[in-house]
Amino acid sequence: MPFVNDILRHRSLSIVGLEKNTGKTVCLNYILHRMNELGIHVGVTSIGVDGEQVDSVFATAKPEITLYEGTHFITSEQHYLRRQLVSSLEAVDSRRTALGPLVTARVLLRGKVLLSGAATTGVLRQQIEQLDSMGVRLSIVDGALSRLSLASPTVTDAMILATGAAVSANLKQLVAKTKFLFDLINIEEVDPALREPLNNIESGIWAVDDDGVAHDLGIASAFLIGQAEGDLLRFGHRFFASGAVSDRLLRTLAQKGKDITLIARDFTKLFITPEALSDFRRRGGRLQVLQRSRLLAVTLNPTSPQGFLLDSRRACDTLAEALQMPVYDVKKI
Amino acid sequence: MKIKELIKRDPGFQYVIDNMEFMSGAGRRRMLETDFMTQADALEAEWKRLDVVDRTIRTRGSSRPYIDLRHCLMQLHDLQGTLAALSVHTPLNEVELFEIKNLAHLAGKARTALAELGLDGVLPMPDLDEVFAMLDPDRTGVVNFYIYDTYDPRLAPLRRELKALQEHDGDAARIGALLAEQDDIQQEVCSLLSDMLARYSQPLATALEQMAYTDFLLAKATLGQQWNLTRPRLDDHVCYRQLFNPRLRDRNEKAGLRYQPVDISIGSGVTLVTGANMAGKTVLLKSIGTAQLMVQCGMYAPALWAETMVFDDVVASIGDEQNEMNGLSSYASEIIKISDILRRSRSEMLLVLVDEPARTTNPVEGKALVQALISLMETATSVTLITTHYGQLGSRCRRLRVKGFVEGMADVPLTPQNINRFIDYSLTEDQSDNVPHEALRIASILGCDEQLIALAQENINH
Repeated sequence: MPFVNDILRHRSLSIVGLEKNTGKTVCLNYILHRMNELGIHVGVTSIGVDGEQVDSVFATAKPEITLYEGTHFITSEQHYLRRQLVSSLEAVDSRRTALGPLVTARVLLRGKVLLSGAATTGVLRQQIEQLDSMGVRLSIVDGALSRLSLASPTVTDAMILATGAAVSANLKQLVAKTKFLFDLINIEEVDPALREPLNNIESGIWAVDDDGVAHDLGIASAFLIGQAEGDLLRFGHRFFASGAVSDRLLRTLAQKGKDITLIARDFTKLFITPEALSDFRRRGGRLQVLQRSRLLAVTLNPTSPQGFLLDSRRACDTLAEALQMPVYDVKKI
Repeated sequence: MKIKELIKRDPGFQYVIDNMEFMSGAGRRRMLETDFMTQADALEAEWKRLDVVDRTIRTRGSSRPYIDLRHCLMQLHDLQGTLAALSVHTPLNEVELFEIKNLAHLAGKARTALAELGLDGVLPMPDLDEVFAMLDPDRTGVVNFYIYDTYDPRLAPLRRELKALQEHDGDAARIGALLAEQDDIQQEVCSLLSDMLARYSQPLATALEQMAYTDFLLAKATLGQQWNLTRPRLDDHVCYRQLFNPRLRDRNEKAGLRYQPVDISIGSGVTLVTGANMAGKTVLLKSIGTAQLMVQCGMYAPALWAETMVFDDVVASIGDEQNEMNGLSSYASEIIKISDILRRSRSEMLLVLVDEPARTTNPVEGKALVQALISLMETATSVTLITTHYGQLGSRCRRLRVKGFVEGMADVPLTPQNINRFIDYSLTEDQSDNVPHEALRIASILGCDEQLIALAQENINH
């Protein structure tokens, strides 16, 4: 499997599913298995609560994550106590989640575990640092793409995207949806000099002038853009949205002037449709992000939770053609 | 009354608390649970401990044991709930046992650091080595924890079989059965350990509370150093030199405005404070109130020099807290507050701070009410400070006047924005029964409508 070598060029990796049941866990298990064979010390955590034994939407059986001896992992107290492996606790976080505090442990005897993890990007980043300090060579984040999750998988250096029949049973639609997310993941990063100052902004929509100085426009969120007072362009044509980016924000900015640059935190904050994005771009609009991960590979699960099966070969080839990137069937890796 | 209630009463005190830096949630919790102390010896003992800690930080603040101690406190988790469960023999789970082991480990490290700093007399820490040993049967010395094979002879063979099966993708049903059996054994061990540890729940709780208290003392001492707070002396009066209001001082500094600390000395009975508008009478009351709360919660005072006494409570009726929530007018809520103060002052030793009583009603009845309040408070044992604009009150009580507006005090043209630079906030003894009449002058400086001022002046002249 070629992307394993690619993975080893990075310190941290997230695996992100376009939808539930796109084979994210199968992919994760594959990587964990290969890393174990190669003797690589890995650390694993998740974003929010995941890893339920049975998928809560379709009640289909969900593969659990198998961890090998020496692996460090972070999960919640409740999931830790239900683990099916032998492990030694090394740290307990003082912050509590709905499932108790997050705990860090090392596997003594391989087996299965349910993963849960950080609810915010800040905590996720600290956890990756903690795993680093425990001697972990590669930190893997079982990522989630959800409006409900504040933690973003883009804090990792590299990313694998899982897609599949769960996204759409219609191959054309599956390709279109995957391609759109693929494009969002690959949105260009902002000038590095702007990253740090903008990263510290916690809320609202700001203007960024030609000298890179951010000015608060007094707009609390993308949804309040319509109520903005004064000339939005008084500091120039560049904006930073610290939170969610909506179609409405793109449209409002595009109406205000041509050649607008909008900087988002990362692709997980882009809740936009392909139509709105192409309208925005047609008017000279440009999207940038503060942070992006390098996309290493795309995996495809040809089976949908309702039991529908895509022609794996054809689906992988069509998608690879559209993305100009290798696509692997998770069931065959 | 605890700090957590007092901060709701006084935003100035809340500001003080918000500026304390705690290393642990337990330290912060310990602070919030601290009582307003009404016993002189308890206060003296607290200041003595604070003094020792303060000197240690000054002399050894960058030493290894001090850094170690801070590190221990940063890692402290507030295990109150777990310890309460342990004390009534509730079986703890593995994560909770890890937390107990971690607490024993941190307490041991803190104990060593405190001894090296010479603070073990002030902050004795129980010895929890037996607890740690119980949770470290293989004597690894590290804080990691799991249900070690050593705890139960059934575990090692079971895990050996499990390992062989797992490594060769063996019979899933057998793996499931072994895991279930292991679970049962682990739970038995957890119950057994919890039972054995239960008798240590008291020393464990003491260790947690001592570490939380250490955090609180360090936070108090550090804030004291940052703000140049001073250790008060207990006496039979309240006397401050260079008293300051931390919240206002910081706000002024941020805005580039001057802040002037004041000297004040008050004793039992009533002291009246008069002075023009904007002269800082209300701020003076608030400063004294906040300082007294700080002092009686075991902190140092915001002044260069402080002598004070122990009160049963600090009670205030300060005008800008109009109680719109319960639908009362400012007059009504003020009267209710003052009645309450009068009632309590019959049996309690209070520091009473009343800002411009009866200012929202007609001056005839208002003045009569103030006169009555003064004579009633004169006979009480409490220390009372009342600000007022009413003159000719006919009382013989002590009067202090804020010097107030001084033309030419600053070397710049006077504007409404810099008026603060022309006010001398210091207090002076005033023998007369008159009050300053500067309302019109100040209104004029503030750019008030000229016609209004002219007409008002005409009214006075007539």
